Amino acid sequence: MAQVRYDEATRIYPGTDIAAVDRLDLDIADGEFLVVVGPSGSGKSTALRMLAGLEFIDNGSIHIGERDVTLVPPKERDIAMVFQNYALYPQMSVAANMGFALKQQGIPKEERQRRVAEAARILDLEPYLERKPKNLSGGQRQRVAMGRAIVREPQVFLMDEPLSNLDAKLRVQTRTQLADLQADLGVTTVYVTHDQVEAMTLGDRVAVLESGKLQQCASPREMYSRPANRFVAGFIGSPAMNLLEVDGGDGSGVALGSMTVPLDGEVGRSVGAHPSVTLGVRPEHLALVPSDGDRTLPGRVSVVEDLGSEAFVHIDVEHRGETTQIVVRGEGESDVRRDDNVAIGLGGPIHLFGPGGERLN
Amino acid sequence: MTTTAVPESIDDSPAPVTADEERRRHQRREAWRRRLPLLPALLFTIVVTQVPFLFSLWYSLTEWTIVPPSDREFIGFGNYTDLATNEFFRSALWTSVLMTVVSVLLSVVLGTALAVLLDRKFFGQGFVRTLLITPFLVMPVVAGLVWNNQILGSAFGVLNWLLETLGFGSVEFVSRFPLWSIVTVLVWQWTPFMMLIMLAGLQSQPDSVLEAARVDGASTSGIFFQITLPHLRPYLELGVLLGSIYLIQVFDHIDVMTGGGPDSTNVPYFVFQRSIGGGWRFGQASAYSIVVVVFSIIIATFGLRVLSGLLEGEDAA
Ligand SMILES: Nc1ncnc2c1ncn2[C@@H]1O[C@H](COP(=O)(O)OP(=O)(O)OP(=O)(O)O)[C@@H](O)[C@H]1O
Ligand SMILES: [Mg+2]
Repeated sequence: MAQVRYDEATRIYPGTDIAAVDRLDLDIADGEFLVVVGPSGSGKSTALRMLAGLEFIDNGSIHIGERDVTLVPPKERDIAMVFQNYALYPQMSVAANMGFALKQQGIPKEERQRRVAEAARILDLEPYLERKPKNLSGGQRQRVAMGRAIVREPQVFLMDEPLSNLDAKLRVQTRTQLADLQADLGVTTVYVTHDQVEAMTLGDRVAVLESGKLQQCASPREMYSRPANRFVAGFIGSPAMNLLEVDGGDGSGVALGSMTVPLDGEVGRSVGAHPSVTLGVRPEHLALVPSDGDRTLPGRVSVVEDLGSEAFVHIDVEHRGETTQIVVRGEGESDVRRDDNVAIGLGGPIHLFGPGGERLN
Repeated sequence: MTTTAVPESIDDSPAPVTADEERRRHQRREAWRRRLPLLPALLFTIVVTQVPFLFSLWYSLTEWTIVPPSDREFIGFGNYTDLATNEFFRSALWTSVLMTVVSVLLSVVLGTALAVLLDRKFFGQGFVRTLLITPFLVMPVVAGLVWNNQILGSAFGVLNWLLETLGFGSVEFVSRFPLWSIVTVLVWQWTPFMMLIMLAGLQSQPDSVLEAARVDGASTSGIFFQITLPHLRPYLELGVLLGSIYLIQVFDHIDVMTGGGPDSTNVPYFVFQRSIGGGWRFGQASAYSIVVVVFSIIIATFGLRVLSGLLEGEDAA
């Protein structure tokens, strides 16, 4: 077990001029579960493959434990990787798949069998040990891929969207097992996903990547309550945070349609320095309230998504002379209907971002 | 085709069998409608292959010499029983086996090696691949002639020129090592074919499996022998079988290189010598050729089975 450090690590694929991963700085503690999340093409897999040694590192360095592994081939890095498509060895039985890495290390057969049996027990794979991968279901293959990683007892686990080929229900179930397993084994884990629910539920910390650049690395709660920039604010959370351009004004407050949101001293000064800033409010920090002058915003309901326990109400409002949509979380089984006229009130923290996307408050 | 239950007719229509009967008729009509366009080709194939085969079968049961002309005389399996004791036939059979097995194995090994080299990206890859494929595109007669005269020959051969330049004496390769000279040319021609099959096999292997093996700590040779070779197995089998089917019938190379001298007469060439090649013993020659056909059919049956296994494997993967 070991900590992992990315130090200005950069990968530029041959034949391209933009870096797929751009000066990535990350410190991952021993035993930590770090989830890397970002939109498609943001460089998540590339970052993981750099750590695995499958991609050349054009600039910067990567350390595992105390060792600089920048130029070390994969087989000497003592890592185990779970691939998105599992990449099981098709000609080998499940047991041989799981024992393959141990065989390469020259570990004697009895010990190999013992460790494979142990992993198979943890993962409920005992009945399938003699089968070939093609005769397994998707979920079973996924567990074999996990098993292949855990028999190694490596320094670091790397996982590239290991749950994305499973159906929704199995994914939730496996996610919980995975969290348990990692906590039991205590092996440092870097986990790539594009699913922010996975990121928020699994990670000790979450790293958000966009266009190869690290946007923020923080605990799920902090990521949610204090997004470092506009991109993270819009990316994390479902449904997404409401983000609206507002005038900076004199810094005493910002106008959201006909509603005024007051600002206090310091924040007001940094907002007042810009002609235009972005105001962000999460749907659950807005509420449908009785109309109350400039402390509420009138609008007309366009869609109601009633999920039973809660409902997301999409409301058309007038803001800066245009019609925009704002999402408000309401109670489930609500009696709000399309085309109702309602008023929106603020019931929680707001987020302010400058023109470059940086956080102001 | 869906087989829906036909509701029993409640009205008084003529006969209750009609529904079933009607459907069967329809199926038969449908079957013929599909078969019909194939018929001309099928007839042609039967006329040019199966009819001569039946004639050969009949001839092989007779004693029949054309020069000097003699009556065709039915002798049953006499030609076949003679085979077992005919020393020349046995030697031709041995040459056939040796020539086929050695050429196929060597070309498979070389083809696999070249495929592995070609399977990585490098500058000029397409050009090198084309160059490597060319021997397969050369006509067998031309290949035999070129090797015989321009490479192995003592008068104009490059190899002998090289030997002499280096101070060794010249060697009459073709007459001293007839079998191995022919094997060399066969390997030269068939290595590209094997290479193409193996290349297809290598490229059907997902990258991530190889990457997984690297992360799991396997060495380069370990990956080749533990992962890649098992993956290539059906492709190897296919190459061996297709190669065997073709190489068991080699004729052109022998004809232009040695003209069937000692050690280089295989069964097809022997058949030729016995019949239109001067022996004029059509009865015997027919019996030999039937033997070759039977062998080839056995090999081909195996080949087809391997091929279908390969296709099924792809589906399941
Ligand atoms: N072999 C390659 N050659 C050139 N460019 C590549 C290569 N692999 C990836 N890229 C580019 O690098 C960027 C990052 O790719 P990467 O696979 O890391 O994205 P990702 O975040 O894993 O996306 P996804 O969620 O879709 O898997 C993309 O713009 C992609 O087009
Ligand atoms: Mg990816």
